[in-house]
Amino acid sequence: MKEKWNFILYLIWFSYLIMSATLMFGHGFLLSRKTLSDVSECVGQDLIQCDKKSGASTVCSESERIERILNNPGSPLICPLVSRRVVLILVDALRYDFTEYNPNLENPLHYQNRLPVIYKTLKKWPEKTRIFRFMADPPTTTFQRVKALVTGSLPTFVDASSNFAAMELHEDNIIDQVTKSGGHAVLLGDDTWARLLPQRWLRSHALYSFHTWDLDTVDTEVDSKIYDELKKNDWNILLAHYLGVDHAGHRYGPNHAEMARKLNETNSRLEKIIDVLPSDAIMYVIGDHGMTETGDHGGETKAERTAAMFAYYKGGLAGDGEETAPGREIQQTDLAPTVCAALALPPPAPSLGNVLLPLLPHMKPSNTLLHLTNNLKQVTQYLVRYGEESQQVSLDRLAELINSTRDQIEKASNIVSEEDLKTYVADVRTLMDNIRAIFREVWVEFDSLAMLRALLLLLLAIFFNWIIADGISIDRIPHVFSSSFVPTGLISMAICISLCYMGHYWQLFTDLESAIILTTGLISGAVTGALVILHWDGISQKWYENRTPFYERFARTVLFGSSAVLASNSYIIEEGAVLSYLSLSVIGLIAWNIGSLKALALWAGCGLVFALTRPYRGCREEQGDCWTAGDNLNSGQASRAALVIALGSVAAVVAVARRQVSWRGYGIVIAGIFTCAHWAVGWGSLGSPNRSRLLARVAWLFIAAMFGLLLKKDRNGPVTPLIVCGLLFYLANCLVLGASYAPTAALALISGFLILNMVSLMKNDGSSKSSLSSRSSSTLACLWALVASYNFYGSGHHPTLSHISWTPVFHAGDPNYSAFGPVVSFILLILNLFGMPMMFGATVPLLALWGKNGAMGPRSQLASVFSLCLKYSLCFAIRVLACALSATIHCRHLMIWGVFTPKLIFEYGACGAALFGSLIGAALTAWHLSPNKSS
Amino acid sequence: MFTLNNHLELRRVTISSLLTCIYLPSIISVISYKGILYSVGSGSSFYILVLIFIAELIKSFYLSSNNEIQSKKNKAKIRVSDILKAFGFLLGVTFCFFLGIILFGAPVLDKHEETLMLSSLLTLLSVFPLVAHTGVELAMQLLFGVKHFSKDTIIAMLVNNALLCVCGAWIGAVVIPLDWNTPWQQWPIPCYLGAIGGYLLSNVMTVLKVTMMSASHKYKFLNFFVNIINKLHVSK
Repeated sequence: MKEKWNFILYLIWFSYLIMSATLMFGHGFLLSRKTLSDVSECVGQDLIQCDKKSGASTVCSESERIERILNNPGSPLICPLVSRRVVLILVDALRYDFTEYNPNLENPLHYQNRLPVIYKTLKKWPEKTRIFRFMADPPTTTFQRVKALVTGSLPTFVDASSNFAAMELHEDNIIDQVTKSGGHAVLLGDDTWARLLPQRWLRSHALYSFHTWDLDTVDTEVDSKIYDELKKNDWNILLAHYLGVDHAGHRYGPNHAEMARKLNETNSRLEKIIDVLPSDAIMYVIGDHGMTETGDHGGETKAERTAAMFAYYKGGLAGDGEETAPGREIQQTDLAPTVCAALALPPPAPSLGNVLLPLLPHMKPSNTLLHLTNNLKQVTQYLVRYGEESQQVSLDRLAELINSTRDQIEKASNIVSEEDLKTYVADVRTLMDNIRAIFREVWVEFDSLAMLRALLLLLLAIFFNWIIADGISIDRIPHVFSSSFVPTGLISMAICISLCYMGHYWQLFTDLESAIILTTGLISGAVTGALVILHWDGISQKWYENRTPFYERFARTVLFGSSAVLASNSYIIEEGAVLSYLSLSVIGLIAWNIGSLKALALWAGCGLVFALTRPYRGCREEQGDCWTAGDNLNSGQASRAALVIALGSVAAVVAVARRQVSWRGYGIVIAGIFTCAHWAVGWGSLGSPNRSRLLARVAWLFIAAMFGLLLKKDRNGPVTPLIVCGLLFYLANCLVLGASYAPTAALALISGFLILNMVSLMKNDGSSKSSLSSRSSSTLACLWALVASYNFYGSGHHPTLSHISWTPVFHAGDPNYSAFGPVVSFILLILNLFGMPMMFGATVPLLALWGKNGAMGPRSQLASVFSLCLKYSLCFAIRVLACALSATIHCRHLMIWGVFTPKLIFEYGACGAALFGSLIGAALTAWHLSPNKSS
Repeated sequence: MFTLNNHLELRRVTISSLLTCIYLPSIISVISYKGILYSVGSGSSFYILVLIFIAELIKSFYLSSNNEIQSKKNKAKIRVSDILKAFGFLLGVTFCFFLGIILFGAPVLDKHEETLMLSSLLTLLSVFPLVAHTGVELAMQLLFGVKHFSKDTIIAMLVNNALLCVCGAWIGAVVIPLDWNTPWQQWPIPCYLGAIGGYLLSNVMTVLKVTMMSASHKYKFLNFFVNIINKLHVSK
C-alpha cells in the first residue's frame, strides 16, 4: 500500500490550496483599520501662565494667553472657552436634493420641494443658516456612518481592537468627550446609538430599528419626546435620529407618495424645532447617507454619498463668501471636530476632519486660530500614534504628513490680518483633505486584483479536484495514487516556493506571500489538470456508462442550491432553517429510495433530532421578531433544567457508547465523568469556580490522552478508533459549548448515528463494485457536509461577530497566564465555533466503513475513504467559493458588513475545520488499516 | 399502438386531467377575485377543501366507471366498512403529513390550524385520488413501492400527480425565508399554492402529452416532446 500516505499528502495539498486562496481573497477584501484607545484631552486656559516676570500676579488677559499658546507649537490641546449646546438631528437617508426648493417647478416629484422650511429660513436669515452637501464615505450603511460621524474617522469592516466581539465603540468620540467633560447627552430614536455607546446617556429613548417596513413608530416616539427635551436645559448635546425617510426609501423608493408624506412630516417638525430652539443651541440637521433611485444605500454612487447638512443658530454663524454658499461640499468626517468645537471640547482622537468655521458661531480671530491649532495638534498626535501601531501607511508618507502639520501649527503664531487668516484656513483644509485621501486609500478601497486572482485559484482547485473525485472510478484510484503523481506535485510546489524566495531575495517583487500562493496554486492546477488529461479515457468512460441515480443528482443540486442561496441575505439570515430543510429532504429521498419501514423510522428520527435542536438555534439581530422577544441571550449560567439535561445527555451517550469500543471505553467514561463534574461543581452560587476549572482541565487531559492512545493499532480495523475519535470530539464539544448547549452536541451525534445506519441500509445490486461506488458516492458526502453545516446553527451559533461567545476560552481557567496561552484560547474558540464540522469531518470514513463491508479489500476501502474525504472537503470548498463570490458581487451592498462578510469568515473557518477533521479521519483510517489482512 | 383497453384508459386520463385543469384554476381565480386568496391557511377556507374533495370524488367515479361488466361488479363490492377504512386511512395520512411538515421546519407549538389545512390539502390531492380509485390496500402497496405499475395508466397518472403535488409544496417553501414582507409569504400560503400548482402542472403535462401523442402520428417531431415529458414523469 504505497499510496497510503500519498492520500494523506494529497488531502493536505488540497487543504493548502483552498485555505491559501481564501486567505488571499481575505487580504484583498477585508478592509481593516487599527483602532486606538487614545482619548483627546485638553488643558483649561486658566492653567496657562503668562510669561511675565512679575511672579505672583499671573493674571493675564485671554488674548495674551492665546498668543502664548500659539507661540508654543509643542503645547498641549487647549480647551476653547465659549461653549454652546448642540441639537443634532439625524434624518436617516436625507439626500441633498430632498432639501432643495425650486418654486418654479411645475410638477415636482414626490421627493422634490418637500422641505420648504430650509429654503425659507435661508431666504430670511442667510447669516444664521447654512445648507451644505454632506459627503459620506462608503460604505454608506447606517451603522458604519454613525460610527464615522461620531468619531470623525473612516470606518472599515474590521476595526481591529482588543475586543471586537461587542458592538460597543472603543474609540474616542463626541459623546465620550461630552460625558468626560462633565456634560450630558440625550438620545432619542434609533437604538444603533444605544448599542454603539451604551451607558453614556443622561436619558435615552432608543427604539429597535430593524423593522424597515415600519415607517412611523420611531418617528412618532421621537416627536413625543423631543419638544419637552428642547425645553430642558440639563443637556449639552441632544441627539434625535429619525428613521422614517430611510424606511420609506427602502420600502417604496424615493419617488412615492409615502416619501412625500415622510418629508412633509420632517418639514413641519423642523419648523417647530426652529421655533422652540433655545438661543444658546446650534441645530445641525444631517443625513447620514443618500439613497439610489430605488431607495437603497450602502454603495459608493454619488446619489448614495450626497447627504444634506442644514445648520441653524439664532446668534448667527461665522464665515462669508464662497465658504457659506449653499450646496458647498463638505465631508462627513468634519462633523465630529466641528461639533466638539461648538461644545468647547477638543476633537476626538481618531478624527481626520477639520473644523468647519462656517458652521460655528462668530468668534475672534485668536479663538479661530485656537480651534485650528487644536485640530492640527490632534491630527498630528493621531498620525504619530497610528504610525506606532500599524504599518498600513508607509512611514515615509506618514513622516511627510506629520512634518507638514507641524509646519502649519508653527505658522499659526504669525497670523495677524484677516487675509492671512483666510489663506491659513484654506491651507489647513487642503492639508486635511490630503491626509484623509491617503487614509481613505488604505481603508476604503478593495484590492480587486487579489480578489480576482483568489477566486480564479479557488475555481481551478475545485474544478480539477471535482473531476478527480467524481470521474476516476474507485478501483483506479489506488493505481493513480501509488504512481509518482503526488510526489511530482509536491516537488513542483517546492520548486515554486524556492523560486519565489529567490525572486524576493533579488527584489524582483515585494509581495512574497501572494506570489507564493499564486504560483503554487497555478502549478497545482496544472499538475491536477495533467492528471485529468492522462486519465481522460477512464473518466469519460465512467461518465458515459454510469447513470447516476436520481437521489444523487438531487443531493448535488441541493448542495449547489444551498451554496447559491448564500448570495441572498435573507437566506443567510435564515440559513439554519434552510439547511435543516435541505438535509432532511436529502435524507428523505434516500429513505424513499430504500423504501423500508426502518428507513422511514430513521428519517423520522433525524427529523425529530433536528426539531429538538430548534430551541437552541438562537436569533440574530436581523430576525426582527425573535430578536426583540429577547431570545438572544446565549451566555450566562445554565438553568437547573439545562444542567440536568446536559448531565443526562453526556451520561447517556457515554453509557451507551462505552460498551461498543472495548477498552477505550474506560477513557471516555472517565473524561465524561470529569466533564459532568465540571458542570455540577461549577453550577450556581454554591459552586466552586476553582475546583470546576480544575475538573475541566482533568477532562481535557483525559481527552488528549485518549487522542494519543488512538495511535495504538487496533486489530479489528479502523472502525472502532474512528468511533472513539468521534466520541472524543463530542466530549470536547460538550466542554467548550458549556452546560446550556451541551445537549446539542449529543443531538448532533445522534443525527450522525442515524444517518450512518441509514447509509448501511442503502441498496446495492449485490456486486462489490456497485456497493463500493454507492458507499463513496457524492450523495453521502453532500449530506454529511449539509448536516455538519446545519449543526453549526444547531449548536446555537450564528455567523455574526457579536454572536461569538468568549466564555469557552476561559472555562478551564484563564489561558493567558501560561506561555502558550494565545494558542490554547484560539484552539478552544475554534473548537467552540466549528467543532461540529470537525467532528463530522473526522467521522467521514465511517460513511464507507459502517455496517457490513466484508466484500471490500483494505486497498479499496482506503480508496473509498479517500474519495469520500475529498468530496466532503470539496463540499465545504464549494460553499466558501460561493461565499467569496457573493461577497464580491455584493461588495457595495447594504448588508455586506453585517451579513455577507461575517458569513464568509465563518464559512472559511468551517471549511478549515472540516478539512482538518477529514484529514484526521483519513489519517486514522490509513494508520489502522492493516495491509496484510485478507479481504 | 394502443390496445383497446389502453385507449379507453387514455381517454379517461385525458378527460379527468382536463377537468382538473378547469376546476382548480377556477376555484383559485374565484377566491383571488374575491380577495380572500391569502386566507387559504386559516380554517375559514375549509370550503375549498370540500370543493376539491367533491371534484376529486366525481373524477374518481368517472375514472372507475369502467366497462359495463366490470362496473356492476364494483358497485356490488363497495361497502360501508370499506369507506370507513378509507377515511381512517386518510386521517392517518393527514396526520403523517402534519408531523412530516412540522419536522421539515413548520412551527411546532403554534399555527397548528395552518399546518393542518396544508396537510389535509396534500392528502386530498395526492393520496385521496389513489385511495378512491384503487382502495386502501392497493394504495398502500403503491405508496410504499411494493407494487409496480405500468406506464400510461390511470394509476401512473395518479402517482405522478401525487408526486408533483408534494414536490410543488416542497418548492413553494423556497420563498418563505425572503425578507419581502409580502402577505403571501405567510405560512402556509406558498406551500399551499405550491401544492396546487404542482398538481395542476402534472395534469397539464398529462393533457399535453396525450395531445402530442395523438398528433405525433402526423407530425413525427412531436415524439421528442413526448419523450421529454415522459422523462420528467419517470424521474421520481
